[in-house]
Amino acid sequence: MVALAVAGVLAVFLLYTALGGNSTPLLQPSNLANHAGTISLTGKVRGPVTGDAKVGGLQFGLHNIKGESPVVPIVFRGSVPDLFKVGRDVNLTGHLDAKGAFVANQMTTKCPSKYTATPNKTA
Amino acid sequence: MIALILGAVIAVAAVVLVSLPFLRGSGDDPGTSTDLQDRRLMLIDERDRTLAALKELEFDHRTGKIDDTDYRALVGPLRRAAAEVLQALDAEE
Amino acid sequence: MADLGRAALVVSLGLTLYAFIAGTIGALQKRRRLSDSARNALVAAFGSTVVAAAVLAIALVHHDFSFVYVYSHTSKGLSTIYALSAFWGGQEGSLLLWLLVLSGYGALAAVLNRRLLRDLIVWVVPVIAGIASFFALILVAVASPFQTQVRALDGLGLTPSLQNPYMVAHPPMLYLGYVGLTVPFAFAAAAMLSGHTDERWIVATRRWTLAAWMFLGFGQLLGAHWAYVEVGWGGYYAWDPVENAALMPWLAATAFLHSVMVQERKGMLKVWNMILVALAFELAVFGDFLTRSGVIQSIHSFAQSSIGAWFLGFVVATTLFSVALILWRLPLLRARTKLESALSREATFLYNNLFLVALCLTVLWGVLFPVLSDIFLGQSRTMSRPYYDFFLRIFGLPLLLLMGIGPLIAWRRASVRSLLKTLRWPIGVSIVAGAALIAAGAGSSRPGLIAYTFSAFVLTTIVVELVRGTRATGSLAQLVGRNRRRYGGYVVHASIVMLAIGIAGSSAYATVKEQKLKIGQSMTVAGHTVTYTGLERQRSSTANELRAVLSLSGREHGTIKTGINNFFTGDTSKAVGIHTDWLRLEDTYVIFDQQEGNAVFFKVLVKPLVNMIWVAGFVFLGGSLVALWPDAREQRRLVARLALARG
Repeated sequence: MVALAVAGVLAVFLLYTALGGNSTPLLQPSNLANHAGTISLTGKVRGPVTGDAKVGGLQFGLHNIKGESPVVPIVFRGSVPDLFKVGRDVNLTGHLDAKGAFVANQMTTKCPSKYTATPNKTA
Repeated sequence: MIALILGAVIAVAAVVLVSLPFLRGSGDDPGTSTDLQDRRLMLIDERDRTLAALKELEFDHRTGKIDDTDYRALVGPLRRAAAEVLQALDAEE
Repeated sequence: MADLGRAALVVSLGLTLYAFIAGTIGALQKRRRLSDSARNALVAAFGSTVVAAAVLAIALVHHDFSFVYVYSHTSKGLSTIYALSAFWGGQEGSLLLWLLVLSGYGALAAVLNRRLLRDLIVWVVPVIAGIASFFALILVAVASPFQTQVRALDGLGLTPSLQNPYMVAHPPMLYLGYVGLTVPFAFAAAAMLSGHTDERWIVATRRWTLAAWMFLGFGQLLGAHWAYVEVGWGGYYAWDPVENAALMPWLAATAFLHSVMVQERKGMLKVWNMILVALAFELAVFGDFLTRSGVIQSIHSFAQSSIGAWFLGFVVATTLFSVALILWRLPLLRARTKLESALSREATFLYNNLFLVALCLTVLWGVLFPVLSDIFLGQSRTMSRPYYDFFLRIFGLPLLLLMGIGPLIAWRRASVRSLLKTLRWPIGVSIVAGAALIAAGAGSSRPGLIAYTFSAFVLTTIVVELVRGTRATGSLAQLVGRNRRRYGGYVVHASIVMLAIGIAGSSAYATVKEQKLKIGQSMTVAGHTVTYTGLERQRSSTANELRAVLSLSGREHGTIKTGINNFFTGDTSKAVGIHTDWLRLEDTYVIFDQQEGNAVFFKVLVKPLVNMIWVAGFVFLGGSLVALWPDAREQRRLVARLALARG
């Protein structure tokens, strides 16, 4: 009977993932190119920061946290999280538009590397 | 200076604590358990289990969770099982 | 002074290694004096760890910036409490805290049980000592809290959002939980190593497990509350890997707490219990590894240091050890009884376990997915919120229902007829409640409606149990006093139901609205109207504080202030404004999103019943304490039983 129950649970699981389970790719600016669909992008903020997140979009650049990479132009519309500033590591959720810019509507910041329960602000 | 003294104190205290059993010479009695003891442990577990189950059955019956029919059906076998275990334990003496 | 700290840690390392080696030899060769000596070494190790901890604590309170650790995590202006809380604010200090709690628990367990459970303790000591020596080794060789530098004038300071009472209490409470799970694990290992797999190890560790589980659960609620009021996005749980790191062992421990009851009554599920206790322990250490190594991308991501590799090695080694032990002792653990009916209390415990473990593994899968997908698919992917929400419902809702059925169903074999008879009140009440809820509009969320209806069901079963019991024994106090475990457990169930209600209300029935307001303008959300009346500026010791003042009208009246803190260090953080309606347990939550000249973009959330979650935390504590309370009669019986066993 236990075996049946376990099988049942696994079946639910497989069904979920088969029905297009909600996983999103986790990328960096260096391997972002040409990905379609919703993407979770992580990188370091590079200035200059222009625009307005509420009107027209906040614009800045993003490059890899470690190592060489191209700078991806970001257009962010939404709530700007705490601790956002140039040089901070952030995570963005959005997609690539036709012009190669990354359009995002969610952003979270990572605290500078410290072992602490770092504040996270999701927008 | 204080640090040095405190450090020495800790080290000495640790050594003393650790060697205490040897200094006391309490002897190396086996304190092991034999097969007989293991069997007794298992029997005692079973005795406590059956007695606790009986007690719970009575309580559930009293509070109305188990009705008369179910109670009558369950109490007989449980009482028999308890008697068996108690007999087995006595035999082990 | 740092030298003293370093020396104390070296002494701790030496003592735990000795306890590990001598304890193992003593247990193998049945040499009592060696085993006693090992036990004493573990106690002494606790002593030297206390000294090391005291050195760090004093350095923190005195703002001794010649300690690199004190410099990195505090500053001169920091109050004593927060300076002290920086003890666990960083890698090295938190490791020291872990060792302190572990050696303390180990010493206590060994000393308390040294007479009654000698044959087990001779193995418990080397197991705990082995684990402790790992942490001591890390503290001595890899991450020392006692690194020194030329004394600086001031320190770097503590992250502002950690300067909060919840963040002072949250880590120590979690550690009391995480580390506490080591004790039942050590006893389980000792039972298998000694070959004495009878119930004594379970009875001996019952309270340890319950206490650890209580701390771990309450600690998580503290963290959730901090996230809600301080981090301020309107939520309290983000399914972040670091949050999940505490949830997973807690779920495993919950399953274990229930399945040991089946083992105690029926002698079944022995192998399963060994697996569960090892799983809970491994998940606790793994959770620690996750938090420290930053191996999985997380918003809480931390410094990538070599510590990750050490911890991973430790988790792998201890897992292999547990698996080997269980496989070796499989014959001893085989049950002689089996499940008589799929409709019985044993069976409901089994179902409860299956759902809990399924949920735990679901979370684990979600946590590991980025790493696994990177390795096997060549691309790192992450599971987002819908994944977790889906499985929380699929596994959580049946669990909720089982909480109501379990206590009322009979052991061994229950007939459908008798079950329906005992459940007639709960079923009746939940049907009425369901209808009333639909009429009140709760049908807008199906999972929410189901959660509420199931909650009504469970609450009724608890009331029925209490009423029946009181009628039979005469007084409620007597009833609870004689059956502390059972009725304490019922109170805990009630707290979980309250948690479910709070979660359902605040997520399924929440309203969100964003709007830009000029001074004098207002917006209405779910019966609450907020009017932006003006801006205030204040200066604290650490920041320039900007606050928008809003007046609340409509269902509730009051003033809400929300804004931004501009820290002198250059960082900014949001300070949300919350108005609580204590009658309805509802919150009006306002976030200052962005300023535009004289206007401000506000985000207003109305979260029904969210405060039920915090209230549930206290009920949870209360119920656990009732179940934990020492029982003189039970203790006497245990002593008598063990004396009889020794013959």
